Amino acid sequence: MSGKWNALQALSFLECNARQRAVGLVDEGSFTELAGPRDRLSSPHLPVLGEAIQFDDGVVTAVGLIGKRPVFVASQEGRFIGGAVGEVGGAKMVNIVRLARQAFDTMSAVKDGLEDARRPAVVISFDTGGVRLHEANAGLLAHAELIDQFQDCKGKVPVIALIGGRVGCFGGMGFVAAAADVLIMSQNGRIGLTGPEVIEEEMGKEEFDASDRALVYRTTGGKHRYIMGDCNVLVADAVAAFRNAVIDALAVPCADIDSRRRIGSLEKVEGQLKLVDLCVRLAPKDSRDVWRYAGNEHPEAVADMSLARFLSSVKRLTDAQGGGTP
Amino acid sequence: MSETKRWDLRKTDYLERMSGAAPYIRNGKVVAAQDVTKVLEAVIRPFDRVNIEGNNQKQADFLAEALSKCDVKRIHDLHMVQSAVPLAVHLDLFELGIARKLDFAFGGPMAGRVAQFINEGKLELGAIHTYLELFARYFIDLTPRVALVCAYEGDASGNLYTGFNTEDTPAITEATKFRQGIVIAQVNRLVDKVSRVDIPGEWVDMVVESPGPFFLEPLFTRDPAHITDTQVLMAMMAVKGIYQAYGVKSLNHGIGFNTAAIELILPTYGEELGLKGKICTEWALNPHPTLIPAIETGWVRTIHCFGGELGMQRYCEARGDIFFLGPDGTMRSNRAFSQTAGHYAVDMFIGGTLQIDKYGNSSTATANRVAGFGGAPNMGCDAKGRRHCTEAWLKCGEEFVSQGEYLGDMPRGKRLVVQMVETFGEKMAPAFVDKLDAWRLAKNANLRLPPVMIYADDLTHIVTEEGIAYLHKCRGLEERMAAIRGVAGFTEVGLSAKQEETDALRKKGIIRTVEDLGIDVSRANRSLLAARNMYELVEWSGGLYDPPARFRNW
Amino acid sequence: MRKQLNELNFEFRADAPKDFPSEFLHYGVVGSGDMEIIMEKKPLGGAVRVKVLTPVSGFSEVWRRVLGRFVNDTRIGNASIEINDCNATPVVGSLRLRQALSEIE
Repeated sequence: MSGKWNALQALSFLECNARQRAVGLVDEGSFTELAGPRDRLSSPHLPVLGEAIQFDDGVVTAVGLIGKRPVFVASQEGRFIGGAVGEVGGAKMVNIVRLARQAFDTMSAVKDGLEDARRPAVVISFDTGGVRLHEANAGLLAHAELIDQFQDCKGKVPVIALIGGRVGCFGGMGFVAAAADVLIMSQNGRIGLTGPEVIEEEMGKEEFDASDRALVYRTTGGKHRYIMGDCNVLVADAVAAFRNAVIDALAVPCADIDSRRRIGSLEKVEGQLKLVDLCVRLAPKDSRDVWRYAGNEHPEAVADMSLARFLSSVKRLTDAQGGGTP
Repeated sequence: MSETKRWDLRKTDYLERMSGAAPYIRNGKVVAAQDVTKVLEAVIRPFDRVNIEGNNQKQADFLAEALSKCDVKRIHDLHMVQSAVPLAVHLDLFELGIARKLDFAFGGPMAGRVAQFINEGKLELGAIHTYLELFARYFIDLTPRVALVCAYEGDASGNLYTGFNTEDTPAITEATKFRQGIVIAQVNRLVDKVSRVDIPGEWVDMVVESPGPFFLEPLFTRDPAHITDTQVLMAMMAVKGIYQAYGVKSLNHGIGFNTAAIELILPTYGEELGLKGKICTEWALNPHPTLIPAIETGWVRTIHCFGGELGMQRYCEARGDIFFLGPDGTMRSNRAFSQTAGHYAVDMFIGGTLQIDKYGNSSTATANRVAGFGGAPNMGCDAKGRRHCTEAWLKCGEEFVSQGEYLGDMPRGKRLVVQMVETFGEKMAPAFVDKLDAWRLAKNANLRLPPVMIYADDLTHIVTEEGIAYLHKCRGLEERMAAIRGVAGFTEVGLSAKQEETDALRKKGIIRTVEDLGIDVSRANRSLLAARNMYELVEWSGGLYDPPARFRNW
Repeated sequence: MRKQLNELNFEFRADAPKDFPSEFLHYGVVGSGDMEIIMEKKPLGGAVRVKVLTPVSGFSEVWRRVLGRFVNDTRIGNASIEINDCNATPVVGSLRLRQALSEIE
């Protein structure tokens, strides 16, 4: 048994399936799946359309421990309909966050002044293209309800987003992940709103060539997001790297976790508006123009830099600006 | 009254054509980009045989576009002779009436259009060839009158540097020039002195600097992230059941994920089997990025390349002991010589296919696409002219049961020709069929023969997920058909197998299942790959491999 | 022809079957060209029942052969197997079944 969890730690996060990621994030032996394959809560809509179903509807929800802290985990399966969110999977995600919030209320009621180290936390691994078109409205509802739950968790339950899968995090889920307290990505992860192919379709190849994957990763990938300050932490592509980053993120007082958000206060919104202003002034043609502005003298070398070299030498936009998302 | 026969008509014709181009040629042999169409109209005549470099990888795209702009009243009914027709403009020429007839080897993305145009009478097909066969005919009955080629660099004297992507240029230009033909080259850069003279200036009539670099297709790059567990399983089977069993040292890998998987398990599974130095040492192969880990871990002694692969140039140049580098330090590929090597100097060809019929004939032709053959027929056949011996060649010949029917008691070797295919392809299309789709294509496109890539009498081994069929060990057509049925799984062909027949063949060693080969199925997964994505390949190469933008996911 | 999710049901009985040793086993992901499997202990007098949900039509016989061969080769008995398929070819199906079983061993 021990061998298996340890072996998971070394695996590529990108290559893992949703369940492997979830198991590896929490302490060994503490993983308890809720509404898993055994419960067979699959989509009622897909069979009507003649589409294949999955027993867990593409989302793994579970509770486990990190140290003394109960951690409520949701992990999206990017290989099932591109991780797209449907009614059941969406409801699972919403409810696992609600469970975390309820756990906080229960635990706070028992012991006043619940210590930070024991607070329930939410960790969500995003690997999705957004709404499952087959179940459009239900999928959209889940997006709204999730952000709603995040708001309820504010100041109470830390919410951590992970992005390191093959699909990345696109569509409305891009909003959701951005609404978390802390965003942890690997260089293979991507976050955005409209998918690259749709941008090309709408705006033309001159504007955005979706087949130029290097361009796509320069624009939506982990390294760029880190420089921009859109993501807080950049990690290696390994389960252990993500797990350790989660542990580190949770090891600070709850109030400090809040401060790492991209949105949620007047100051944060003003910071975002400053960025928009900068965008208009700078009129960048490519992410490299932004990287150069941030102080990186050789922007063309950034993409191929090893993670260690990148983290030790890269200049983030937030450093150049002063302040912003640490 | 006897007339003196003239023997210099070609030369006279050449001079006449060139005089029409003279006003546009300046400064030695240089033509300005904006004058190219006028030049082509001056030197080409209707019904001429014309080559445009439509190679496997590089394309003389600027010259092709310029040709398409010619006045069809002046230039029409051309007979195109070229290796491949991958660009839309290659087929536009037929639509416009500028071209009429085609002899080629590989269709690529335009394969459907070729079939359509044949049907509509816009394109008259000469024949589909394998590359070396087409080059051979350049010297017999398909010599181009005008050749439109491409190179990295050219100088005012016409010297060309073709370098990494030399490919077909030497064969084309020699045949054309030495029959008093006209050679026009588009170059990425006009320079004072070329990095290396790959094509001497005397062979070239005109050089034009194109507005952009010539088009290069990364045809042989396979992202390891897309290799499936099944492909790993079949790779393990091939390595154990064939490479190890015969000690295959010299070989060619046909294009595809199946062979990419084999390349990537050499440093892992191959290492476990203790095969380094015993197999896969000499290659006729394009620079496959997926071979990088095996090269880096010391499996490979030498590789001669048909062409260059986009992104691999710096890596190849930094591995001078493995690749063919000139005195200037850069690589020179050469399709004609590589194909010759692939025919005479390698022990094994292994590749994938779309369909195999119940007799063992294999083809990638579908009813509506004239896909062509590429290099496979040349390497996927027994080279009857071969005389030198290697262990693998001799062993295969010893096992070739029917040899005696033709040679009496005279011993001889035989090349291993292997086809790897899953019994069901995409959309559950069976790979094993009663009758190849090639028959329907022959009908739809008016071909004399159904286009077969590898004939049953050359095929020695089939690898499917069910097992390996050692066809050359079979005595007669009936036994061979039974062996094919035995590995054809649950396709209709496979379902018609009789269990007793299959069992008997297993006993004889003519069929070896995954079990017989002693392969642990639970190990057949991606973790056996030495590199599992493009980034890892870059790391293996120490940053020397520079994948094209479309393959980068970081 | 309207696309539909087909339900296929089979029952097999191997010679001298061995009881399926696990209460519950789940394996796999319903990716394109792939499938997931649930295997559970179930008293069926030595038999194995299999339910397959698949968007592919007309391959019932192939499924029967693949599953039948799996049961005969492994000689499992008293088990219920449920498969959610998404266009997996027989080779992938066989591989996943075997990989699922090896999770127990």
